[in-house]
Amino acid sequence: MLSIKNLTASINGTPVLKGIDLEIKAGEIHAIMGPNGSGKSTLGKVLVGHPSYEVTGGEVLFEGQNLFDLEPDARARAGIFMGFQHPIEVPGVSNASFLRLAYNKKAEAEGREELDPLEFDDFIHEKIKLVAMKEEFLDRSLNEGFSGGEKKRNEILQMAVLEPKLAILDELDSGLDIDALRVLGDAVNRLQRADRALLIITHFPRILETIQPQFVHVLSGGRILKSAGKELALELEERGYDWVLEEAAAGGAR
Amino acid sequence: MTSMVAGTSLVAELLGGPRPAEWKELREAAEARLADRDLPTTADEDWKYLDLKVLAGISFSPAPRAAVDISGYLLPEMVGTRQVFVNGHHAPHVSCASAVPAGVRFFPMSTASEACHALGSMGHGVEKGFFEDLNTVRFGDGAVILVPKNLKVALPLHLLFITKAETPAAVFPRVLVVLERGAELELVEEHHGAGTYLSAPVIEIRVAEGAILHHERVQRESPEAYHLGTLRAEVAKGAQYHSRTLSFGARLSRQQPWIRLAEGAQVTLDGLALLDTDQVADTHSFLHHAEPNSASHQLHKCIVDGKARAIFNGQVRVAPGAQGTDAKQQSRNLLLSEAARVDTKPQLEIYADDVKCSHGAAVGQLDPEELFYLQSRGLNADDARNLLTYGFAADVLTHIPVASLRRALRQLVLARTQAVSLGDLT
Repeated sequence: MLSIKNLTASINGTPVLKGIDLEIKAGEIHAIMGPNGSGKSTLGKVLVGHPSYEVTGGEVLFEGQNLFDLEPDARARAGIFMGFQHPIEVPGVSNASFLRLAYNKKAEAEGREELDPLEFDDFIHEKIKLVAMKEEFLDRSLNEGFSGGEKKRNEILQMAVLEPKLAILDELDSGLDIDALRVLGDAVNRLQRADRALLIITHFPRILETIQPQFVHVLSGGRILKSAGKELALELEERGYDWVLEEAAAGGAR
Repeated sequence: MTSMVAGTSLVAELLGGPRPAEWKELREAAEARLADRDLPTTADEDWKYLDLKVLAGISFSPAPRAAVDISGYLLPEMVGTRQVFVNGHHAPHVSCASAVPAGVRFFPMSTASEACHALGSMGHGVEKGFFEDLNTVRFGDGAVILVPKNLKVALPLHLLFITKAETPAAVFPRVLVVLERGAELELVEEHHGAGTYLSAPVIEIRVAEGAILHHERVQRESPEAYHLGTLRAEVAKGAQYHSRTLSFGARLSRQQPWIRLAEGAQVTLDGLALLDTDQVADTHSFLHHAEPNSASHQLHKCIVDGKARAIFNGQVRVAPGAQGTDAKQQSRNLLLSEAARVDTKPQLEIYADDVKCSHGAAVGQLDPEELFYLQSRGLNADDARNLLTYGFAADVLTHIPVASLRRALRQLVLARTQAVSLGDLT
């Protein structure tokens, strides 16, 4: 589904990604872990086309198509979704209107039928149950005055509405209490299917107890230092990141 | 020099002609003050950015009575609670106050001069404005609203001022609102029109102890109109005044609200101006925290496109001894074209030490992070831009309590921000 080859990127002329290789197939769940400032969030943002980052080399294919030929909105309509660590507040636009607009733009692109406000009302009421969101949040302005946890809930609601092929979730657990994390983790699990893939970006292994990845990658200094199965997450929980960094340094010296 | 002469003749012209007999003293005092004054010029610090020269080239005359079709202005929540004024004259055939609750007095001034002893008294001791005095000399009719003690009016009241000018006309709408202790009211004041005209309304408001007034003000004058409005409000101890002024129309407009807050009073003074082509909209506000523990909240937003220009001058004065004052002011402006322009100036004068006062002014384009966020959800760049522009304006409309008005204004904003293609966001 997603094939990243020797990807390099920089922000304001400073290299942040220094050669990333990663293959993600349909049905898989991958976790990218790493210390703060390792470049893991950058990887997510580069994949969805954040304007602050410049891709300086390598290529990314999404279902065989060159991702960098597509504008951010076209990537979204093609089926890539990012749940942001810090979702933006948009005053004056109701959450429900925005969700319907996003849903209909995607439906239009896929040649499916668009939903009118009444039909969408039924549709969205099913979806908010999945993330246990209170109805009042539909009428409020998009993310405005939402707590950190409510914003995350709203990100997963958007994911449920847009049903992406590839969802990238950046630090989903930040700002969430344990109960909310379990609810959202379960919601993400229920949205996962054999024809979809997940890329979880996280500093803490905690979230990976609910959303269990088949592959765990440690990213540091703009490179993937180690890839293994889910047992790597447990090891990171126990031992921290330093030993991976040391091991990589030793490997590099050999 | 030419403009001075022309300005003087404009004043003479506006003051001339037959005039109503009531409120003789009030009018004479205003006329005496005007005798020494000319039309304000840009040499005047207060009028630095608003050039009225254009007025001098137009010959305005009193507007005659006219018939209008008001069906397009009716709002379902206020079918039996409206007073309509056409060209400054009360229009009894299209007004309907049958649903106004007993005890509330809501009538044209011409039928009840005895109730209007408070007229001209708001802002006592404060210098009157040029157009305020002009209104006082010239106003023909206007609306009076009196809500007795502790009466909470469930239905909103609707004031419609419509101007239909075949030839350039001058109108002087006048409103007096008095809420007695503990009374509550929602008032919607709208200005519409067609043709070239000058409208110089004066709204006077007294909110007595513990009373609450919500005031929605909609300026949708014709594109050739000149709107120079004055608002004077005195908000008594523990009383609340919440107003929102929405400016869409007029070639040139100015809103000049002056509000005095007594102890513990709470005031909201929000504004939105949507400007395009060569429109100019000016807001000069004055919030006077005269006594301790009062709070004011002011959010003023402008979207400026074409060669339009927005001006904001927000004065906040905290009087000596007005401890515990809480004043928040924000001026936020969105420029949509190279030639658009905004001049914004917060002006805080604080003479007490235990106060919380904040102000901020921002002029700019749309936030790239916000644009990206919407794009990441599948909206193309144009749609994202239009949606954010709409949201910037609609933000001010969110809490309008009259649903049909809120919907109508959101539709208007959708159309004016090119966001219609996004479907029904209201």
